[in-house]
Amino acid sequence: MAYLSMGEAHRRISDYLNRFYDSVSSQDGSSLRQLLSVSSDSPHLLSLADALNVFQDANRLIKQADRYSQLGEIIAPLFRCLQNYRIGHLVDAYNAFEKSANAFLLEFRNWESAWAMEPLYVIAYEIRVLAEKADRELASYGKNPEKLKGAGSFLMKVFGALAGKGPKRVGALHVTCQLFKIYFKLGTVNLCRSAIRSIETARIFDFEEFPVRDKVTYMYYTGRLEVFNENFIAADKKLTYALMHCNPRREENIRMILKYLIPVKLSIGILPKSWLLDKYNLIEYNDVVQALKRGDLRLLRHALQEHEDRFLRSSVYLVLEKLELQVYQRLIKKIYISQKQRGPSKAHQIKLDVIVKALKWLEIDMDVDEVECIMAILIYKNLVKGYFAHKSKVAALSKQDPFPKLNGKPINSKGTHKNKNVPSVLGLIIPFFFFNFFVCGGGGG
Amino acid sequence: MLNSLSLFIGQKCQIVDSTGQASASLTPGHSLLPSATGSTAVSWTMHRTDYSSSENGLIPTSTYHHNQQTEPLSREVQDGLNAPSNASTSSNLEAANGPQEYAGYSSYTSSTDAYGYGNTGYQNGYYYNYPQQTTHSYSQQGGVYEHSGASYQPLISFQNTGPASYTSTYYNAADYQTTGGYPSNEYNNQTNLWNQGSYAHYPSHQYSAYTSDSNGAQSSSTVAATPLHYQQQYKPWADYYSQTDVSCAPGTENISVASATTSGCAVPGHTGGYPFSNSQPPPPGTTSWRPEPSSSELPSSQAGAVTGDAHNVYWKNENGTSGIQNNVNPMPSYFQMPLNPNPLPYESSQDQQKIACPQGSNLQYSTISQVPQSQVPQNYQPPLQTFPSPDTRRVSKLQVPTNPRIASNLGLNLPKTDKDSSTTNAAAKPAYIGVSMLTSNDKVPSHESADSMFKPGMFPTSLRDYVERALARCNDDSQKAACQNIMKEMITKASADGTLYTRDWDTEPLFPLPDMHMVNKDGKNSGVVSSLPKYKRSPSRRTKSRWEPISEEKLVEKLASVNHVSVKEFSSGICERKDDGWNNSKLPSLQQQTPSKNSQRPVKKQRLGDTVDAAENDGASSDSDKEQGLTAYYSSAVALANSPEERKRRENRSKRFEAHGHRANVKHFRQKAVGARSFYSRRASVLELSRSYEDGGSRAVEDIDWDSLTVKGTCQEIEKRYLRLTSAPDPATVRPEEVLEKALLMVQNSQKNYLYKCDQLKSIRQDLTVQRIRNELTVKVYETHARSALEAGDLAEYNQCQSQLKSLYAEGIKGCHMEFSAYNLLCVILHSNNNRDLLSSMARLSDEARKDEALKHALAVRAAVTSGNHVLFFRLYKMAPNLNTCLMDLYVEKMRFEAVRCMSRAYRPTVPVTYIAQVLGFATVLPTIEGSEEKDMDGLEECEEWLRAHGACLITDNSGEMQLDTKASSSTLYMPEPEDAVAHGDTNLAVNDFLTRTS
Repeated sequence: MAYLSMGEAHRRISDYLNRFYDSVSSQDGSSLRQLLSVSSDSPHLLSLADALNVFQDANRLIKQADRYSQLGEIIAPLFRCLQNYRIGHLVDAYNAFEKSANAFLLEFRNWESAWAMEPLYVIAYEIRVLAEKADRELASYGKNPEKLKGAGSFLMKVFGALAGKGPKRVGALHVTCQLFKIYFKLGTVNLCRSAIRSIETARIFDFEEFPVRDKVTYMYYTGRLEVFNENFIAADKKLTYALMHCNPRREENIRMILKYLIPVKLSIGILPKSWLLDKYNLIEYNDVVQALKRGDLRLLRHALQEHEDRFLRSSVYLVLEKLELQVYQRLIKKIYISQKQRGPSKAHQIKLDVIVKALKWLEIDMDVDEVECIMAILIYKNLVKGYFAHKSKVAALSKQDPFPKLNGKPINSKGTHKNKNVPSVLGLIIPFFFFNFFVCGGGGG
Repeated sequence: MLNSLSLFIGQKCQIVDSTGQASASLTPGHSLLPSATGSTAVSWTMHRTDYSSSENGLIPTSTYHHNQQTEPLSREVQDGLNAPSNASTSSNLEAANGPQEYAGYSSYTSSTDAYGYGNTGYQNGYYYNYPQQTTHSYSQQGGVYEHSGASYQPLISFQNTGPASYTSTYYNAADYQTTGGYPSNEYNNQTNLWNQGSYAHYPSHQYSAYTSDSNGAQSSSTVAATPLHYQQQYKPWADYYSQTDVSCAPGTENISVASATTSGCAVPGHTGGYPFSNSQPPPPGTTSWRPEPSSSELPSSQAGAVTGDAHNVYWKNENGTSGIQNNVNPMPSYFQMPLNPNPLPYESSQDQQKIACPQGSNLQYSTISQVPQSQVPQNYQPPLQTFPSPDTRRVSKLQVPTNPRIASNLGLNLPKTDKDSSTTNAAAKPAYIGVSMLTSNDKVPSHESADSMFKPGMFPTSLRDYVERALARCNDDSQKAACQNIMKEMITKASADGTLYTRDWDTEPLFPLPDMHMVNKDGKNSGVVSSLPKYKRSPSRRTKSRWEPISEEKLVEKLASVNHVSVKEFSSGICERKDDGWNNSKLPSLQQQTPSKNSQRPVKKQRLGDTVDAAENDGASSDSDKEQGLTAYYSSAVALANSPEERKRRENRSKRFEAHGHRANVKHFRQKAVGARSFYSRRASVLELSRSYEDGGSRAVEDIDWDSLTVKGTCQEIEKRYLRLTSAPDPATVRPEEVLEKALLMVQNSQKNYLYKCDQLKSIRQDLTVQRIRNELTVKVYETHARSALEAGDLAEYNQCQSQLKSLYAEGIKGCHMEFSAYNLLCVILHSNNNRDLLSSMARLSDEARKDEALKHALAVRAAVTSGNHVLFFRLYKMAPNLNTCLMDLYVEKMRFEAVRCMSRAYRPTVPVTYIAQVLGFATVLPTIEGSEEKDMDGLEECEEWLRAHGACLITDNSGEMQLDTKASSSTLYMPEPEDAVAHGDTNLAVNDFLTRTS
């Protein structure tokens, strides 16, 4: 650190104070915002931090400039935060920032107009980022990382300040998204529920009026929640919305959305094109898709095992595992087609032995009872139409559409999938286009 | 609530003080505090009256005040000294005690005088007034004193029932005094209260034995004015202790012990206090003497002998307890002196009377009470140096151990009380304290009498013993008083002819018991009592006023109910610390006695009442204890935060704990009775700690030295029923690790049913937790319990164990980690049905874990469940390792039902039941095994029954084989209501049902 004269330090601090006061008095949100972004490493703030470390009596300056004495409550801890952040004391920096943020929120409530949304966003972002850093520091000391939790409760307060009527409501979604990020990180996603309810039940404010970026983020997180709950229809809807509205140049964001959207689409019988997986570097899904296409149970299991860690972490493992039934369906369909090619007369009767043999060929060791069980489940879940005769160990397939397509509907045990609007031949392809279309839309938007 | 109540009371008390007849108002406050038992209430009133009388007796104290006033400076100095300095303080005490007392008096005098003199209520105030005063008095010295008194009482109750509590209270008082100068007054007042309480308690039990001791104490107290006196007093104390011990041995073990401890504590306190309050005032001369005589006279000729001294009267009135109280007071003053340094104590004591006491008690206690335990050495050292006898006391006092904790607690409490509203609570509780005081009083009375007899306490211990012996023979107070008169004459004679120190008192034959008539004549107790109120207004009353209890006595009638409650609480508190039976029994007795009339009658009544009351009290004790503990907590916490001596206290505390072992040994004898106390004290200390930490703010919870609070069990019994702790654990009922190992083995080999095992295991777990044992034994216990819970299908208990095991494994303690990971996984899969939990559980599994047989199985089960593969599920069910089967059992019904629904939909036209039975795990043995056919048949029947119960349509085909008509069944299947369902949803709560399943 280069030597810094007291005069220079004094000048920098006064300058900062003046800018802060000016931006508040002129209600200039964007310039205030820059003054608050502690972790942005902007040269201005860095030099200010140095000045603060040299000039220890900054509080006196704050008091002197008593034009906005109430702002001292914000600035004093903010200065401490900057100082600590500069020297790497992240926990202290967080603590100071939280104080400052609380003081800011207090002031914010008093401001009628929504001019300070941007500074508030910055604070919401900074407090989360600082909390994460502080937690890392705490963890390195072997202490309980609890700062992120604290940040979460602060943001809940902010949400409370925004969620009512009035112009500030625009910011509610942004804060909610920051909350999502915290809760997903903490693994306490059930805490999201209250925020979601508040957003989705509010009639005074149309969801579409929120900023796009917040809408996309919100849809992404709520979509993920639906994946958890294996509520594939809703998850598909939300994630698709996020994909459609996501900035196409933000490939990383698109990838994050696709990471969840692809398993969801697979679960409802829609397969992606391989280029999509390549483009967004989602190759871990390649084998899964291939297995679905070929009815290759071995490949699916292998893919799941290979990427188990990743799938578990992104919590799509269970979703992918359930694709097994679709793979069985595909396998039986293949057997059915080959039988049909040999002799159409008895093609709809599939002997269990044949299936067992096919599985053996895939190096999967299952006995007759188990295969019988699988067949029963397939019929039960409406992936195969027909019935199973226990005595003769034969599955009798329906002559009409023995393998109903999911067509965007999840596997359903009670399913009465009677709709035959999609020709079986195109069944696998059309949804694929569908998917493709969505992706293109996202890219173009 | 407590706080507010206490405040409320305090206000009332103040009012009373001003009017001197606010007793009525006070009573309300009392009533508010605890729910009083009617009988106790009555007794209380009596006590109060006694007090009032004592106050009257106090009148003479004008000299007192003066003396004290002169000495204040010295006191302050002493106060400045830390607890550690106890020794120095003790030494100082002699010299300084007088001064201290003076100081206290001086400050007091003005304030206290006002209180005591002006207000008859002082005594009443004891609890009430004091608290009130304290609140107000903060500014007002007198008020402060009162508060401290109140606090003291509570403290006492909290802490050791016996001496410890006393000391603590004293200490607090001392603190108060030191700060304001008030303390001394407060002490006296408090002590009075104590005396009352003790009086009532002791009369019946210890009376005889203790009396001599108390005498010694008294004498010491008289000496108090002089440094030498102090030492002497201590010696007496030692004797006292020994005596008390003896008494304990003979009589009710617990009770006796408690009494002994209490007495011992009280005695020390008295001795110290005496010198200060009583003797100190006397130091000037007559006053001190008067008190002494009065104390000695208390039993027989209290009135006559003491006549001159207000104190004497007081004592007499109070059954001589007053004298004891005085003695006690001195002790407090000693203790207080150390404590005094803290200005806070006042406030705390005032606010939280209990708390205040604790603080004082911490330093001082540690010295006094702790000494007996093991801690004593540290604190005591100073005292010991000055007074060798204290050590003996320590030794003799087994109970002491508990005291230290209490003391520590107290110390902590003080600061908090000051700050917190809790202090007010504490004040409210003081009434409780008063009870504990009472216990001490019982002992004290004897001391007092003895002391008075011996006057300065210069008398040799052998003489004191002699006096005690003599008094022990007395059947009632009047007789005692007569004996005391006789002894007084003897002693006077002996001292006149110079044989006092040369005569072998140990072998001296006891004089014949005086006639009761004589006694009656001599004993002007009743008269004294009545007169007491009058006296109160005189200067001597000051001391009495300090004893505010006297005024309370008047009020008592109304307050009686309240008092009773308080008494009970105290007693309970005492009991917990020392011997539950003891305190309780004593307290009631005290109560009864007091009501009956002053000191004389109490004895008999007490005896009668003791047993009965004890029983009654026992029930109430736990609650009151809790309250007390809480208050102590707060007060202690406050003290911690505020007091500069915190560090020292902590050291003391930790030292005390070091002494645990000794305690434990001692406790063995006492067995369970002792345990309760320690619980309290421990809890209180913990509370204090936590409190203080809260207050401190900057301090983190991690900084609490939990090690110092950990119990070391001494119980040797292998079998122990589980009882949810409602107070701090008692080492005497906690089993050490070795015993727990045996207990675990016993449970593992036990053929009894799950309920028994669960109970035993829970108690083992509790003992482990209490002792903070976290090692492989702990893991084994939890594993054993988890397994047996699984076997019995007790998921709730299993979950508790599992969560504990999780953290134990996380600490790196070895166990069957894999096995329980598998259980955990199965539990999540089959029962919680939470995908997020499942995913995180799976994500946490290491590669190594995935190779484990049990985990592999669990993962396979998971796969079978998620895919609905019932064939696989039941195959896994049959080959499940460990107790995986048990967990799967709980899911079998669901799985079967889903499977049958699936079959009824997928199969046409029928499915043979034999197949279903085989696939769905009804056939328990594989067909290839010999005799399987029979088993299959069993399984078949079971399956058929099950299918019918679930609404399946069964038909018999041509070959006579039972078939499931799938088409018909598909619409008729239903899940029947579980037969063992209970309204509250937890079948485990249906004991009969549970027994049939598990036995």
